[in-house]
This record gives sequence, C-alpha cells and structure tokens, in this order.
Amino acid sequence: MKIARSDKEDVVVLQVGGKLMGGTDADIFQENLRLILDEGRRKILVDLGDVSWVNSTGLGILIAAHAQVERAGGELKLCKVSRRVESILMVTRLNMIFESYADEAQALASF
Amino acid sequence: MSERSEGTIELVIPAKLEYLDLVDNVVEAVNELMHFDEDTKTAVSISVVEAGTNAIQHGCLKNGVQGVVKMAFEVAPDVLTVTILDPGAGFDPTKLPDPTSPENLLRERGRGIFIMRQMMDEVTFDFDRGCAVRLVKHRR
Repeated sequence: MKIARSDKEDVVVLQVGGKLMGGTDADIFQENLRLILDEGRRKILVDLGDVSWVNSTGLGILIAAHAQVERAGGELKLCKVSRRVESILMVTRLNMIFESYADEAQALASF
Repeated sequence: MSERSEGTIELVIPAKLEYLDLVDNVVEAVNELMHFDEDTKTAVSISVVEAGTNAIQHGCLKNGVQGVVKMAFEVAPDVLTVTILDPGAGFDPTKLPDPTSPENLLRERGRGIFIMRQMMDEVTFDFDRGCAVRLVKHRR
C-alpha cells in the first residue's frame, strides 16, 4: 500500500494505492491519520482510485480509520471506489458506514 | 482459450500476506479459463483472497507456524472448485457472529467467511488434516 497526501483547502486527501490488505498497512495508515489529526485537521477524504483490491483485513483498516477520525470529531469519506471494492463494501453492509463519492470534486463539495 | 477447459491447477505459497497478490493473479487467469462473467469473476477473486488471508493469518501466523498455504483450482466446464489448505487446527464455522448485525458492524475483523458465503455457491470446511476451505462457483 502507498499513501500520498494532498491538501485541498480544509480537506486532507489521502490517495491510497496498491493493495489494502493488513499487516504493516494498518500501522502506516494509522500513523498518517494521527499526524493529520494532530495538526487539527478534521476533514479526511480517502481516494481509493488506485487501490486494486482490498480484503477483509484491509476493510478493518478503513473501519479503524473511520472510528479514529470520528473520535476526534471529524469526518472520513471515500471516493473513486472500484467495482471490486464497492462489491465488498456492499456485501458487508459497510456502505452504510462509509460515505462514498464517484469522484474527488463531488466528495470535496460534500464536506 | 475458446474451448472449455478441465484440469487442476495447484499453487503453494509461503504464509506471507504479500503473496496474496500472486494468488489474485492466478485467480484472474483461472476466471478467464472459466469464461465467468464480470460479477462472478469479482466474487471468485474476492473469496479466494479472503480464504488465503484467513489461511495465512489464522492458520499460520497466529499459531507461529512458518508453513505454506496450498491451493488447488479444479476447473470443470461449468463449475470451479477451489480448495485452500493451511496447517492450522481449524475452528467452529457454526459459531461465527454475523458481521452485519448492528453490534458487529464496526468490528475490525470477522468478515472473511461471511464474505465467502455471500459470494460463492458453496463454502465447506474440512479439519481432518489441517484446515481446508472448499469454495465452489458454478458458471451462470
């Protein structure tokens, strides 16, 4: 998994690439979020456009991230979710937890 | 390959999560052999990766076993059977909580077998010699 950060006004966009599958991915994701939250940023958009696949352990990373941001009083949303990732979110009903947008512009406008 | 294929493809991987990408590539090739539609390809790919994840994490790493995970893809004209075998002791598949119930929805773990059951036609377990998961998908 790779993470690239860009700031779009008051929203921090985390562009995730590769496979989201647990192991060290969880620590990397959590540390990135911790640094962002420590800066006082509370609006996080996770761009999954370059994520080729996610497994249930990877879903756990997203759930933990969602909880971490919510505990800090912020919002975490998703965009550019692939068909494969969408499918796994639907089956697990996590689509009810994650606000998800087709593209970045729509997602940014939603905050 | 235009003719319908038959045969068994076997794969043995070290119990390391990074090998799941290789597994996914093999599943993609098997899906092509089966001439599955796009939804079925997605279901099979997700399910085999889930089974592989469980085999590595629960069958090997959590038990401190430096083992391997064995996979067999049995290709028949209208049905694919995938068996994933790890050296773990297994578990009771009747005692898994529903990860979609409100009290479990935000749990970080415990979705793998649920996902397989939702996406495959059959999911069965055999704990005689390690932990074997058998996934079946019919061509629609």
